[in-house]
Amino acid sequence: MKKGIAAALIAAGLCMGVAGAGVSAADEIEVSIWDSNQKDGLQKIADEWSETSGVKVNVNVVTWDSYWTLLSSGAQGGDMPDVFWMHSNTAQMYMENNLLLNLDDYIAADDKIDLNNYYDGVVKLYNSNGSQYALPKDHDTIALLYNEALFKKYGVDTPTDDWSWDDVYKAAAAITEAGAADGVYGYAVNTSNNQDGWYNLIYDYGGEVITEDHKGTTIGSDEAKAGMEMLRNILTVSVPQTIVAETGTDSLFQSNQVAMITQGSWMVNAFYTAEGAADYKWALLPYGDANGNGQCDEGERYSSYNGLGWAASANVEDPDTAYSLISYFCSKEGQLRQAELGVTMAAYIGASDAFANAFEGLDLTPFTRIEEEGKLFFRPYTRNTTVWEDALQQSGAFLDAWLNPEDPAVMAAACDNAQAIIENAIANE
Amino acid sequence: MKKNKMSAAMKREERWGWAFVFPTMLGLLILNFYPLFNTIYQSFFKTGDFGLGNIFVGLKNYQNLLMGAGSGELYQALWNTVKYAIIEVPFSVIIAMLLAVLLNRKMVGRSVYRTIFFLPMVCAPAAVAMVWKWLYNQQFGLINNVFHAKIAWISDPKIAWISIAIIGVWSILGYNMVLFIGGLQEIPKDYYEAARIDGANGFQQFLHITVPLLSPTTFFIVQTRIIGALTVFDLMFMVMDKTNVALNKTQSIVYLFYKYSFTNNNKGVGAAIVVILLVFIMILTAILQKLEKTIVYHA
Repeated sequence: MKKGIAAALIAAGLCMGVAGAGVSAADEIEVSIWDSNQKDGLQKIADEWSETSGVKVNVNVVTWDSYWTLLSSGAQGGDMPDVFWMHSNTAQMYMENNLLLNLDDYIAADDKIDLNNYYDGVVKLYNSNGSQYALPKDHDTIALLYNEALFKKYGVDTPTDDWSWDDVYKAAAAITEAGAADGVYGYAVNTSNNQDGWYNLIYDYGGEVITEDHKGTTIGSDEAKAGMEMLRNILTVSVPQTIVAETGTDSLFQSNQVAMITQGSWMVNAFYTAEGAADYKWALLPYGDANGNGQCDEGERYSSYNGLGWAASANVEDPDTAYSLISYFCSKEGQLRQAELGVTMAAYIGASDAFANAFEGLDLTPFTRIEEEGKLFFRPYTRNTTVWEDALQQSGAFLDAWLNPEDPAVMAAACDNAQAIIENAIANE
Repeated sequence: MKKNKMSAAMKREERWGWAFVFPTMLGLLILNFYPLFNTIYQSFFKTGDFGLGNIFVGLKNYQNLLMGAGSGELYQALWNTVKYAIIEVPFSVIIAMLLAVLLNRKMVGRSVYRTIFFLPMVCAPAAVAMVWKWLYNQQFGLINNVFHAKIAWISDPKIAWISIAIIGVWSILGYNMVLFIGGLQEIPKDYYEAARIDGANGFQQFLHITVPLLSPTTFFIVQTRIIGALTVFDLMFMVMDKTNVALNKTQSIVYLFYKYSFTNNNKGVGAAIVVILLVFIMILTAILQKLEKTIVYHA
């Protein structure tokens, strides 16, 4: 009996191993991404490329966590997907170890690609020692998402461009109090999603998660502490973290349990196609009133921005075809298609209006207006971002504060600990 | 004893013997021994990017884990794992034994019950974990809805480890039960008959015949379950999201290994963690083997 089960388990394990390995022939290209919301749109663009090239494209989606596990084991075993996304978290490491196809010669010979047409931060991110290893796929900014119906129901004024985080706190407190009987909360903080959440508050108040040179942090400074103190206030009137840990802020919002969350432009389509989409509106990301004068001054409204890159494996079977697909995705034509289909905003400067127009009746200007009315900071990264990003979520860092939002001392201590964690991680990179 | 020279037939038999065990040995060597020694080897290195350019650091990984900055996390994970085992092993063994005794009698629908209790064993652990995750959900879960409660089963650090262990008990119950039924069927019926003639009631029979004669099976199950419980991973991995606030208080030592090896790409530290676990399990097993002579009844 026991042996039989053991044998069955081993067999099952072997089968899974086989299924996990990618198969690639020259007339087929395997593309790996982590966002299922973008799959259909990207497959459509890829199919258009297939019509001229005659090469079939399979777009595979794996979850964010598994994506990096698979990609790094693939890199180690020499079996990566042909074409895939790169991200600021780990791009440096992949480029320095020559795991990505060097695109310099291809770009030089390609009259459809001129790197000056793309957001500078995204281009630079995928450049190592003067060589380009990925082409910019998109860029993203953050905005405030709110449920208009819930605001009306509890008689609270809806967010405007002039809102500071303090206004968010007041509105959240009012809704949480009025909605207590229905189990409705004013706000939900997805503490694990730093990029669209608490990072922005740190910058609003003058702190930096990672300094410009990517070699240090000021997360333990008084400025950063002021930002996190604001977040702590908001947490006290938000959904408790034990609930967020199980159900997720997006699901809570879509089941009308939460009136406000912050989200990135890459999620627009997911909310646009959701059941209650008619009530969902986007507003400009609030500012942090650091000097307390009641208006938004220079440097008080920040949104993080990030951009993915299309890269190919260094030992891809057919580099010409792989580059041809990347070039199509990133050409003006492909970027416009990506925006029109509502996949994401473009990395190609000037193509993002098509994105805003792709969603009829929805005002998406908060995502583009923040680029003019506020400041952008590139999503903080170092050589091995995951190590400290992960440690910041643990007990001994911000987890203690997420669990005890009532105690300002815990949050301040967490900021000090975070300072040490990041400095330590950078020293070990 | 005088050593006999082997006859030709014996030699032939010996060759065949080797031929038959060869596939198993090959499997053991490639799939068990090579990774084992490679893991021990790697635990002395600081892992470079993608496993290239490893730097020899001697016992530094161990030093850091046992006494340095990583010790808090390691001992917490070890304690979490032990806590899990303390619930999973006794409950799954005792309940399974009682079920086995009940289902070993002649009764209507016996095989149906046996099948039902064994079913969790046939389900994929990932599927089991996902279903329980939804049962436990604080907002929309079936358990909280039925009892009109608002309990954070899997995100309150105080009770999350118990909730996880309950899934473990539920999953392994049927397997233990089947092993017990096998053990029960080896106990001769004469003993019970004799006991009945002497006037022993059902409970006395259970205590004085079943329990001692079943003790070799019980010991085997306890020992394998302890090892199984100490290496638990899938339950925590599937049920607890990475954002879960109770993760620190529930993550098992293998989960910690996974985090270091595959999320942080620090395979050297990961290897050191499993070597520590290996030593821990070896010590426990040695103690259990010593105890066997005193607690197992050998007829």
